[in-house]
Amino acid sequence: MTGAGIIWQVAHREITERGRSKAYLVTTGVTLLIVVGLIVVPTFFGGGPDKYPVGSVGAGNEAIIDSAGLLGNAGLEPGQDPKVIFTVTSFDRVEEAKAALETGDIDAVLVDAREVIVKSASGFGGSPLVGLLQRGASSVELEALVSEKGQAAADVIAVMTSDPLTTTTLSGPKPGKENAGVVAYAGLMLLYIAILLYGTWILSGVTEEKSNRVVEVLISSVKPWQLLAGKIAGIGVLGIAQFSGTIMVALVAVKYTKTFDLPSIGATSVANLIIWFILGFLIYAMLFGAAGSLVSRMEDAQNVAFPMTMIAVAGFFVSIVALDDPDGLAATVGTFVPLTAPFVVPVRAAFDAIPLWQFAASVILVMLTIAGLTLVAGRIYAGALLRFGGRTKLREAWHSAAE
Amino acid sequence: MLEIRDLHKDFGDVAALNGCSFSVDRGRMLGFLGPNGAGKTTAMRSIFGLIRPDSGRVSWNGDPITANETRLFGYMPEQRGLYPKMKTHDQLAYLGRLRGMTKREAAEAAAYWLDRFGLAERRADPVEALSHGNQQRVQLAAALVHSPDLLVLDEPFSGLDPIAVETMSDVLREQAASGKAVVFSSHQLDLVEDLCEDVAIINHGAVVVEGNVRTLKDAAPIRHLEIEIEGDPSPLLGALEGVRHSVTSGAMHTVIIDAATDMRGFLARAQDAGRIRHFTYTTPSLSDLFREAVQ
Repeated sequence: MTGAGIIWQVAHREITERGRSKAYLVTTGVTLLIVVGLIVVPTFFGGGPDKYPVGSVGAGNEAIIDSAGLLGNAGLEPGQDPKVIFTVTSFDRVEEAKAALETGDIDAVLVDAREVIVKSASGFGGSPLVGLLQRGASSVELEALVSEKGQAAADVIAVMTSDPLTTTTLSGPKPGKENAGVVAYAGLMLLYIAILLYGTWILSGVTEEKSNRVVEVLISSVKPWQLLAGKIAGIGVLGIAQFSGTIMVALVAVKYTKTFDLPSIGATSVANLIIWFILGFLIYAMLFGAAGSLVSRMEDAQNVAFPMTMIAVAGFFVSIVALDDPDGLAATVGTFVPLTAPFVVPVRAAFDAIPLWQFAASVILVMLTIAGLTLVAGRIYAGALLRFGGRTKLREAWHSAAE
Repeated sequence: MLEIRDLHKDFGDVAALNGCSFSVDRGRMLGFLGPNGAGKTTAMRSIFGLIRPDSGRVSWNGDPITANETRLFGYMPEQRGLYPKMKTHDQLAYLGRLRGMTKREAAEAAAYWLDRFGLAERRADPVEALSHGNQQRVQLAAALVHSPDLLVLDEPFSGLDPIAVETMSDVLREQAASGKAVVFSSHQLDLVEDLCEDVAIINHGAVVVEGNVRTLKDAAPIRHLEIEIEGDPSPLLGALEGVRHSVTSGAMHTVIIDAATDMRGFLARAQDAGRIRHFTYTTPSLSDLFREAVQ
C-alpha cells in the first residue's frame, strides 16, 4: 500500500471512531447551541420596537412625546417597523402618576411640558427614554422659534437627526466597517477555541496511543510520520466539518434573525476564517503531536502542552489589541510570528487593514513553518514514541530518532 | 529467512546489544531465551526498525528490511496494547488494512481469527470489555490478521492460563507448519522445549547458544543426573567429580555434571552406599543448558 493509502487508513479510523464518539457529537451539539443561542436569544429581548408608556399631567406634553417618537424613529425606510412606540396615559394629579410609576405601569411622567419624572436615575445601560424626551422638548421649542419662517416640525427633526459632518478615522475600523469588528471578534473567538480544541485532541490522541501501548503495534507496520500525518488529517477533517458547520449555522441564524446585515459578512470573510483555521490548526497540531509523544500518561499531557497553549493565549491577546488597532505595531509584529499569525491576520483582514503583501507573506511564512515542523515534530514524535514512563526530553527524542 | 548479524546497540553506558546474531528459517520456530535485561526486546524491536542498531545487519531473505517487509511481519510487543474503546472486529480489520489488505480481506481475516479464538460473539465489544486472557488472544490475532510471513512474539505466553497456553501453542505450531518463520521469547523453558526445535539464548546482549535443541543437548558438555538412595548420600556425592550444580529436594538429589565424568564407577559406589530408589542419567534439559549459558 502507498504512503498516502496508509495515511488515509489512519485518518479514516480517526474520523469514524472519533466522529461517532460521544465527545465529538456532544461538543458539536453544544457549540451549535451556543452559537445559535448567542445570535437568536437577544432577538427575543431586543427584537421589535422599544415600548415607552409615558404618563402625562397637565398640558403641552403630547407635542413633546410626538417629537420624541419622530426622533426615535428617524431614518426608517418606508414600510419598516418602528423602532420606538410611545403610549400616553393621562393623569389628573402628579401623585397618581407617581403611583403608576412605582408600579411600573409607566416609565416616565411629563408634567406641564416642564418636568420629567422617572423612577430612579440609574445611568449604566439605562433606557434612552429621558434623552429622547429631552430632545423632543428641544425640537418643540426649536419648532416654535423657526415656525415664523414657515418650517414644519418634520424639517426640524430631519435637521436634528442628520450627520452633516463626514467622519474620517486615522486608525481602527474604517467607517462602514463597524460590523466587521463584530465579525472579526466572533471569528477570532471561533478560531481560538477551534485551534486549541482540536490541537488538544491531537495531543491527547497521541498520548493515549502511548499510554495504552498500541503505538508499538502500529509503528511496527507503519512509519511514525504516517501515523502522525493520518491523525492530524483525520482530526483536521472532523475539525473543519465542525468549524465550517458552525459558521454556516451561524450565518443561517443571522439571516433569519437579521441581527446583522448579512452582506457585510461576505464570502471572503468566511473563506478567510477557514483558510486561517486550516493553517492555524496544522501549525499547532504538529506542535501538540510532538508534545503528546513526549509523555506516556494523560495527566502529563496538559503540562507538556503548556508552552504552546501560552503562545496561543498570547496570540489571542495580540488579536484583541489588533481589534482596536488593526494597523498598529502589535498587529504587524503578530502577523509575522507564525504562531500568532493565525489569530492576528484574520482580524486585520476582516477590517481590510492588512496590505496584500503582508497577508501573502504571512501565509507563506506559516506554510514554510508547517513544512519545517513536519520534519522537526515528525522526528521528535518518532524518537519519543517508544520511550515509556516519565517525560522524554526533547534532546533525547531528537537523538533517538537519528539514523 | 530472518537473519540477524552482529547487532550492537548502546543506550547511554548500557550495551543492550553486543554482537547479537541469530537466524530463523521459514517453517521453523525459534525459542528466544535470555534472562531479564539480556536484550531480547531490543533485538526484536530492531527487526521492525523500532530501534536503530548502532551497527550490524537485519535481513529478510537476504535483503535489508524496509517498511515494505515489516508490513508483512506480525509483531506482538511485550507491552500489550490495543485501542481499548474500539470494537474488537474493527480493530483487527483496521490493523489488516494498515498492512495492505483490502477492506474485504481484512474483514474476513478479522472474523476468521475471532472465530478461531472463540471470540466470534464478542466481535462488537470494545477490547476493554474483554477479560485479560481474551485481550491476549485478540493481541495475538492482531499479529496474525494479515497472515504474516514472519511472526515475532515477545513473551506471548506470559500471564496465560493453561487452556490459553494450549490454544496459543497450537496456533504457533500451525503457523510454523504452514511455512511461516516464528520467533518468540519466553521464560517458560519447559514450554519452549515442548514447542521449539530451535533455540537461541541471549546473555548480556549477545547470543551465547544457538541451534537445534536435540543437537545442543547431545553436544552439551554436561549431563543431568538424578539419584535417590536409602541411607546417607553425602559421602557418595561428595566424592563425585565434575559437579557443576546440585539441588536437593527431600531425598532426591539433582546434579548437573560434566559429561566426561565416569558414571560406571559412580553407579557401582552408589549401589554399595545403599539401595537405589531412583537413578536417571540423561542429556541436560533446556533449563540446564540455559543455566549453564547465562551463569
